[in-house]
Amino acid sequence: MKFKKLVALALSLFVVSGFFAGCAKKEAQQPTTLRVTMGLGEEEWKVMREEIFPAFEQANNCKIEAIQVESGDVVKKLEAMKQAGKMEIDLIAQDNMALAPLVEKGLVEDISEFRSKIPAEIIPSLVTVGEFDGKLYFFPFRPNVEINFYNEAKFNQYGLKPPTNWDELLQVAKTLKEKEGVGKVGIKAVFDGNTTVQLFEFIRQAGGDPLVLNDEGSIKAYTFLKELWPYLSPDSLKADWNTTNRFIAEESMYLAANWPFGVNVIVKDGGKKEIKAYGGFSGPVKASKVLGGDVLGIPVGSPNKELALKFIEYLMSKEVQEKLASKLGWPSARTDAYGQVEDWQKPYFDAINEAMKVAEPRPNLVYWADVDKALNDALKEIVIDGKDVKATLDKYHQKIEEAKQKAGK
Amino acid sequence: MQSKKIISKFFFYLGIILIVLFMTVPVYILFRVSFAVPEDVLTSHPKFLITRFEFKHWEQVFKSGNLWPPLYKSFIVATLTMILALIIAAPASYAISRFDRKIKYAIILTLFFTRMFPNVGIALPISVTFLKWNLMDTNLGLVMAHLIEQLPFIAWILVSTFETIPIDLEEAASIDGAGRIRTLLKIVLPVAAPGLAVAAMFTWLNSWNEFTYALYLSLTTKTLPLQIYYYVLRGGFFQQAAYSTILTIPVLIITFALQRYIRSDYLGGAIKG
Amino acid sequence: MKFIKKYYFELLLILPLALYILGFTIFPILKTILLSFQDKDTGALGFSTYQYLFAKKDFNMAIFNTIAVTLVGLTFQLVVGLFIAMALKYDFKGKGLVRSLVLLPMGVPTLVSGVTLLYIFGTQGYLNELLYRLGIITKPIAWTSGGIKNIFVIAFADSWKVLPVVVLLLLAGLESIPNDVYEASAIDGASKTQTFFYVTLPLLKPSITMTMILRAVDSFRIFELPKILAGRVTPFLATYAYDEYSYNNLNASAAASTILLLIIIIFMVLYFRFVDRGEGVKGAK
Repeated sequence: MKFKKLVALALSLFVVSGFFAGCAKKEAQQPTTLRVTMGLGEEEWKVMREEIFPAFEQANNCKIEAIQVESGDVVKKLEAMKQAGKMEIDLIAQDNMALAPLVEKGLVEDISEFRSKIPAEIIPSLVTVGEFDGKLYFFPFRPNVEINFYNEAKFNQYGLKPPTNWDELLQVAKTLKEKEGVGKVGIKAVFDGNTTVQLFEFIRQAGGDPLVLNDEGSIKAYTFLKELWPYLSPDSLKADWNTTNRFIAEESMYLAANWPFGVNVIVKDGGKKEIKAYGGFSGPVKASKVLGGDVLGIPVGSPNKELALKFIEYLMSKEVQEKLASKLGWPSARTDAYGQVEDWQKPYFDAINEAMKVAEPRPNLVYWADVDKALNDALKEIVIDGKDVKATLDKYHQKIEEAKQKAGK
Repeated sequence: MQSKKIISKFFFYLGIILIVLFMTVPVYILFRVSFAVPEDVLTSHPKFLITRFEFKHWEQVFKSGNLWPPLYKSFIVATLTMILALIIAAPASYAISRFDRKIKYAIILTLFFTRMFPNVGIALPISVTFLKWNLMDTNLGLVMAHLIEQLPFIAWILVSTFETIPIDLEEAASIDGAGRIRTLLKIVLPVAAPGLAVAAMFTWLNSWNEFTYALYLSLTTKTLPLQIYYYVLRGGFFQQAAYSTILTIPVLIITFALQRYIRSDYLGGAIKG
Repeated sequence: MKFIKKYYFELLLILPLALYILGFTIFPILKTILLSFQDKDTGALGFSTYQYLFAKKDFNMAIFNTIAVTLVGLTFQLVVGLFIAMALKYDFKGKGLVRSLVLLPMGVPTLVSGVTLLYIFGTQGYLNELLYRLGIITKPIAWTSGGIKNIFVIAFADSWKVLPVVVLLLLAGLESIPNDVYEASAIDGASKTQTFFYVTLPLLKPSITMTMILRAVDSFRIFELPKILAGRVTPFLATYAYDEYSYNNLNASAAASTILLLIIIIFMVLYFRFVDRGEGVKGAK
C-alpha cells in the first residue's frame, strides 16, 4: 500500500508541476523506486549494481530495485500480477527468445510512439527483434550470440582442429568417439528453447527456413543431425544453457556451443584455461547464428512508466554500452561503442564478435510456441525414434501451417 | 562356535559400514566439492580424497552479500510455519484423536487425499490468489503456502501422539472438576510434549527445505533453496555446493541434538487408524 | 444436531484446520480438476484435453516412467529399509552414531540431493570414476541420458533421500512387536529365517502398508529429482505437467495433474484389494 501511495504522490507532483520527469522532482522527499527485473549471473549483477545503476539513481533521485527473474519466469510473474490487477514491475529486461508470449498475452506496452528514442547508432537488426506486426514492444539492450567452446588440450592431443564446416564436424565427432569410446561433441538436445536455437542455426546454415520445415535446407539439416547423432555426447540430452558449462568444464564435452556467459563460469571460476572458443562452423550454404540477447520492455500498468523510459534511454546510451562491453565482454548494441576487455577475455570477445557477424534474428511470431514445439518434436522423432526425415518434417510442416492459420496470419 | 560368531559379527559390521557409507558418501562429496581446487573436480577423472583445501568458494559466498538475506528469510519462514502449524494442528489433532474410529478414519483419509495432488497443480491457483491478497513475496504468504503442505503432515504425527494418551487421564481430571480447556492444557499437553516437539522439528525442517511454493511465491527475496537453485541455473558449480552445505548444517545439528527424542512410532499410527 | 452437541468442543478445535485445508487445498484442487475438463480454446466442458494428451507419446511415456520409478524405488526402499531397521534393532557398539548417520539424508533438501547425486551419477561423475578405478568399466556410462538406466538412477536418488523415514517407520513397527512373540517362536525351535518370514513379517504388515502408501504417494508425484537428474527424454507425470505449464498449456497441465491423482487412487485401491486386504488398517489395534 505504501508503494501505491508513493506512486500516487509521484504522479500528482508530476501533474501539478507540469514538468517532464517522473521523479526528478526534488520536492518528493522519498525517492521513487524503480523496479526492474533481469536474469543475470552473479558477476553481471555486480557490474550492474556498482557501475551502471548509481549514476542513474543520482541523476534522477530514485532508487533502482533490481530483481533477479529468470526469463522463463517473467511471463508467469507478470501474468499473475496482471490477473491480480496489481503491476509492481516497471521494466523488464527479457531474453529475446521469450518475447512472443509477453505480446500474445498483452503483458507489455505497445511503445511504438517512443520509437524515436532509439538512437541512430543502434544496430538495425536489433530493433526488428522487438517488433510484432509492425508495432514496437521492446527496446534493444544487449545483443548476444552463442560461441563454440572447445577443449584445446584434448583437441591437440588427438591432432584435431575446431571444425569449420559440417563435414569436419562429423569427422571430429567420429574421431573423438573412436578414441574415447564415448561421444565428446555436444549439442543442446533438451528439446526446448535451447534446442530450437541450435536447430535454427543448422537449418539456416543449409539454406532452409525453419518456419517451413520441410524445404530442402531443413531436410538437409535434419538428415545431417540424424547422421551425427550416434557420435554425440550422451549428455547432449541434458545440455541446456546452464548444464553445458558444466559438461564442458567436466570434460564430458570437448566441443559445444553456448552463450558467452559460460566464459566466466568455465574459465574464470572453473580455472579451465584450456577451454577456448571460436565463432563456429558454417553449413553447406552459409554460416549462420541466432541473434539472441536481451531487450527492454515496459509491463502494462507499470507504475513508473516515465522513469522506466528514461532508464531505457540510459541503458541504450553509448556510455553504458561501453561499460558493459568493457566490464562484462557483452557485445555492444551500438555501432559506435567499443569495449576494452581484459587480456584474458580477449580471445573470447573476438569469438563473440566473429559470431555476431553472421547472427540473424529469429522471426517474431505469435504462434511461436507451436513452431518451437514442432521443431523439437520433429528432432526427437527423427534422432531418437529413428523416423523418416521427410515424412516427419512433412507432418510438422502441417502442424506449423495449422498454427499459422489459427493465429489468423 | 566362537569363530562362527566372530564371522557373523564381522559380516554384521561390514553391513553396517556399507550402509553408513551409502548414506554419508553423497554428503561427503558435496562437502568435498565445496572445498575443491577446481582442477581436482573439473576433470574427467575427479579425485575422491581431499588432498588440498580451497577456501575461495566459501570466501566468495560470505563476501557476496547474497547469503544472509536468504538465510534469514528461510529461518523466519520455517520458524513461523512451525509455530502456526502447531497452533492450528495441535488442538485439531487432539480432537480428531478423540472422535469415533469411523469419523477419525474419514478425516485422516481426507488429510491424506490432499497430499496426493501434485504441488504444481495447487501452487498455480494459490499464487494467483495470494497476489490478489498482496501476499506475494512476503514472509507471511510463504508461511501460509508452507502450511498447505505441513498441516496434514503434522496432523498425522500429532493424532498418533494424542492417541497414545489414555482417555482415563482426562476423565480423572474432569472428575476433579477441571474444565476441558484446563484438562487439555494441564494434563494432555504436558504428556504430549515430546511428540509435539518432534512434530515441530519435522515441520521446521520441511519448511526449511521447501522449494516449489517458494519458487512460485517469491520475487525479490529468496529462500536458501531458491538461492541454490539460482546457482544451479547459472552454473555456479562451487557456490551450489557451498550453499547446499550451509543449508544442510542446521539440519545436521538438529538431527544430532534431538535424535534421541525421535521416537519412530510418532511417525506411524495415522493410517493405521 | 446431536452430533454437534456431543462433539462441539472437538469441532471447535478442528475448525481452523478444516477451514484452512478447505480454502487453500481442496478448493484449488477442484479448480485445477475443473480446468482439465475445459477445452483450451472454447472453454467448453469435455474431454478434448485428455484426447490431446493421450495422443502424445511423451505423455504415455511419462505414465510408464512414473509407475516404473515408483515400483523400482519402493521395492528397493522396502528391502534396504527393512535390513537397516533390523540392524538398528540390535544393540551394538556405536549404534547411536550409526543411527544418526543413517538419518543424515533426511536433512538434505530434495533439490540439494539431486545436485549432489548429479556429482555422483554424472557422465564424468564419481560412480563412473569408482567403477573405472576398480577396472569394471573402461569408458564412462551415461547414467542420466534416458532409458531404463535413468529410471533406476532416479529411483536410487529418491531412495537415498527417503530411506531414513522408511527406516524410522519400519523400526517403529519392529519395536512394537512384543518380545514374548520371539521367545515363543524360539521355544518352538524356529530358525532365524523362519522367524523372520513367519513371525516378523506378518506382524510388521501394518507398518509396511503404511510405509508403502506414504512412499507411493510421494514417489508418484516425484518432481525435483527428475528435473535435475533427467532430461526431457525421461518425462514423469509431474515434470510433464510442468512442461505443459511452461508451454502455457494450463489445461493440459491440469489434466496431467488429474491423471496423476487418478493413478495414485488406482494404486491405493489395487493395493488394498490384492496386497493388504484390509489387515493393515484393521489389524493395528
